[in-house]
Amino acid sequence: MSRLRLTRRHFLVGGAAFGVAARPRPGRAQSRAPAAGGQLIAGLSERMLTLDPANHYSISSTSVLRHVYDPLLDVTNDDRFVPALAESWKALNNTTWRFTLRKGVRFHDGTPFTADSVLFTLKRVRDNTKLIKSFVYQDIDDVRKDDDFTVTVTTKRPFGSLPAHLTMLGMLPPAAGAHEEAFFTKPVGTGPFRFLSWTHGDHVELEANARYWRPSIPKVDKLTVRFIPELSTRAAALRAGEIHVIDRVWPDMVATLKATAGIKVLDTPAVEAQRWHFQLAREAGKDPRVRKAVSLAIDRNTIIKELLLGYARPVVSPIPPGLIGHTTLGQKPYDPDRARAILKQAGFQNLTLDFVLMKDLYPKQLEIAQAVAAMLGDVGIKVNIRNLEIATAREQRTAGNYDLFYSGWAHMPHDPDWYFGQWFTRAGAEKMTRFNDPRVEQLIAEGRVPDPKVRQQKYEEIQKILWEDEPEIWPYYSVAIYAISDRLRNFEARRDYYVLLHEVGIA
Amino acid sequence: MRAYLLRRLWQSAVTLVGVSILVFVILRVVPGDPAKMLLPEGAPPSAVEELNRHLGLREPLWVQYEIFLRSVVRGDFGQSFQYRAPALRVVIERVPATIALAVAAMALTVVVGVSLGVLTAVRQGTPWDYGGTVLAVLGQSLPNFWLGIMLVLLFGVTLRWLPTSGFGGWASLVLPSVTLAAFPTALVARLTRASLLEILGQEYIRTGRAKGLGERRVVLRHALRNATIPLLTVLGLQIGTLLGGAVITESIFAWPGMGKLVVDAIFFRDFPVVQTILILSATIFVVINLLVDLLYTVLDPRIRYG
Repeated sequence: MSRLRLTRRHFLVGGAAFGVAARPRPGRAQSRAPAAGGQLIAGLSERMLTLDPANHYSISSTSVLRHVYDPLLDVTNDDRFVPALAESWKALNNTTWRFTLRKGVRFHDGTPFTADSVLFTLKRVRDNTKLIKSFVYQDIDDVRKDDDFTVTVTTKRPFGSLPAHLTMLGMLPPAAGAHEEAFFTKPVGTGPFRFLSWTHGDHVELEANARYWRPSIPKVDKLTVRFIPELSTRAAALRAGEIHVIDRVWPDMVATLKATAGIKVLDTPAVEAQRWHFQLAREAGKDPRVRKAVSLAIDRNTIIKELLLGYARPVVSPIPPGLIGHTTLGQKPYDPDRARAILKQAGFQNLTLDFVLMKDLYPKQLEIAQAVAAMLGDVGIKVNIRNLEIATAREQRTAGNYDLFYSGWAHMPHDPDWYFGQWFTRAGAEKMTRFNDPRVEQLIAEGRVPDPKVRQQKYEEIQKILWEDEPEIWPYYSVAIYAISDRLRNFEARRDYYVLLHEVGIA
Repeated sequence: MRAYLLRRLWQSAVTLVGVSILVFVILRVVPGDPAKMLLPEGAPPSAVEELNRHLGLREPLWVQYEIFLRSVVRGDFGQSFQYRAPALRVVIERVPATIALAVAAMALTVVVGVSLGVLTAVRQGTPWDYGGTVLAVLGQSLPNFWLGIMLVLLFGVTLRWLPTSGFGGWASLVLPSVTLAAFPTALVARLTRASLLEILGQEYIRTGRAKGLGERRVVLRHALRNATIPLLTVLGLQIGTLLGGAVITESIFAWPGMGKLVVDAIFFRDFPVVQTILILSATIFVVINLLVDLLYTVLDPRIRYG
């Protein structure tokens, strides 16, 4: 905190005279030539909004806070759920889970991690409905402490994705409850780094937790995360050697970065599928023949190859590979002749579609939408591209003023239950796509049980129906692209877009 | 003078109340639901409703305004929806970076702009004049996102003399302030040149020269002083623009200033932050305008307010 005040005063006084002293900025002085083993500096695309792990679904905030707080379970890059603060967990029946906790773990302030922390964290997120993550945990009925290191969670209905959601919830010390506001200005967790300071809108500083429960982790003494929303600036900072890693690289930036000495570009198929959804109560989207024709008229491979420069994968089922439920249903064909024939047969001569985009949200989205407009124009469908500011676009969707909506879905908990529950149940889709299919709804409910075999089978059935019915166009699976300094060791390009640096060292 | 000051202060207060009402109403009339922007896409409608209730957005508009006004009088601008912290604190945290950048850019504007203006005016018709005019035209016509990125690539990436982005130390201030100052510097240079040329042609200047005053004294003491009146008006307006309108520069340099904060807040429908910033900047504008009007009387004794 004193560091923060110093910087601020220093700027008010020094800045006013334009003779600001050449005091090195925290996280910057060393950044010109980072000391070996010492400090790791990441540049993230979004600014962090909060230090409360239950109060955001922001990827940048997670990338910072996963270093400060540990969840009960972790998820690996190949979608396996592995122990973190819980050593093991088990579904006792469809609505009861038992978690056995790790012993000997301490928070950064020295207090031990026990069942009380789990009780506090879970009850807080369920009961405080102001918290952004609260709605996910409304199905929790009770959280019981069996002993200091065993917790039983009962749920109101089957909650098979609970372990997946718990990978996104950092555990808090119970003492946080007494003065929450004060706690979250200088929070403590059990993570590999301790929180030092946060200069809002600019950077966060963390230092290694020497007593971390995983041996020989972390690999560096200090971690600074800078927030650099503009990609060209982020890339410039990496190329100038000021930072070691950047996220959210767009395909057309890859060549420049690859051409820079000392920089490596890494990519991996993301947990995200692009999905452009139809408004199913409007004239066009209501008719399955129109949906089929639109699907047939879109040349997905051209989009992947020409516009995304190969940084995307063809879709073979709505759920991306690696996640529970993924199956192979074959690629959707590109056949404009058949599309024309179907439209003619159905009597749609002068069809016009409103294609709504949320401005600047997805890489190359406007170019892709324009290409799609041309492809659909080719089969006689006129497309109005409406590139709207995000809040306005969402409002238009709620009001039903669109035919096709450009969107993607990142399965952040590495589990598709959220996606299905939101988009393919009547309650979830009511003010979105107006999807309503009792068969699918029934299967989603049956797929919420803990048994992975049952879930896989139900999800395969759901996807077969969706694949045939095409309430959405699935143009491609996204690819996550990162660029790093070649001095980084052990960096893993995450499928969930997080930048996790627990095990990363500097050569 | 006293009566004038009181009248101006009263007018300022009315202006600010007007601004607050306008901002308040416009924000709530534009489409877009704050709770939906805060929650992920997969949040059920009940959660959206619940959050909107927590944010106080389900009250009638006039009730919301009344609550807002009562709080503002106590210095409480509400909780930022996005940051979950007092809006005033969120805004004030951005003040140091905003002021540092504005002051640096303003200093560059005044020093470089006026010097360039004087130089091109006194050397009218020489290569100095042409060179200076070309620079001024460039400064006004280069889009600052392009200029900023070029400066970053040259001085940050290729030469590595200066940091590419971020807020810290004098070095980080150089590129953003040059980028931000390019336009107003050019404006000031052209304005100085034009008004100086007009004044240099006037009779009292000829008189000054005739009675044997040195050229330096004629230009700097007699001509420039009179040329500063239009300049001051423009500079006064520029301060406001530099404080709140540096959005593009702040984006390019990842500068944690208020311009980007307000734009993001508008996109995310973070009403309390938008209200705080707009009311603060309206206040600054009003105060600076008042100060500029008062400064006229200092610079030109013929101007009197009654």
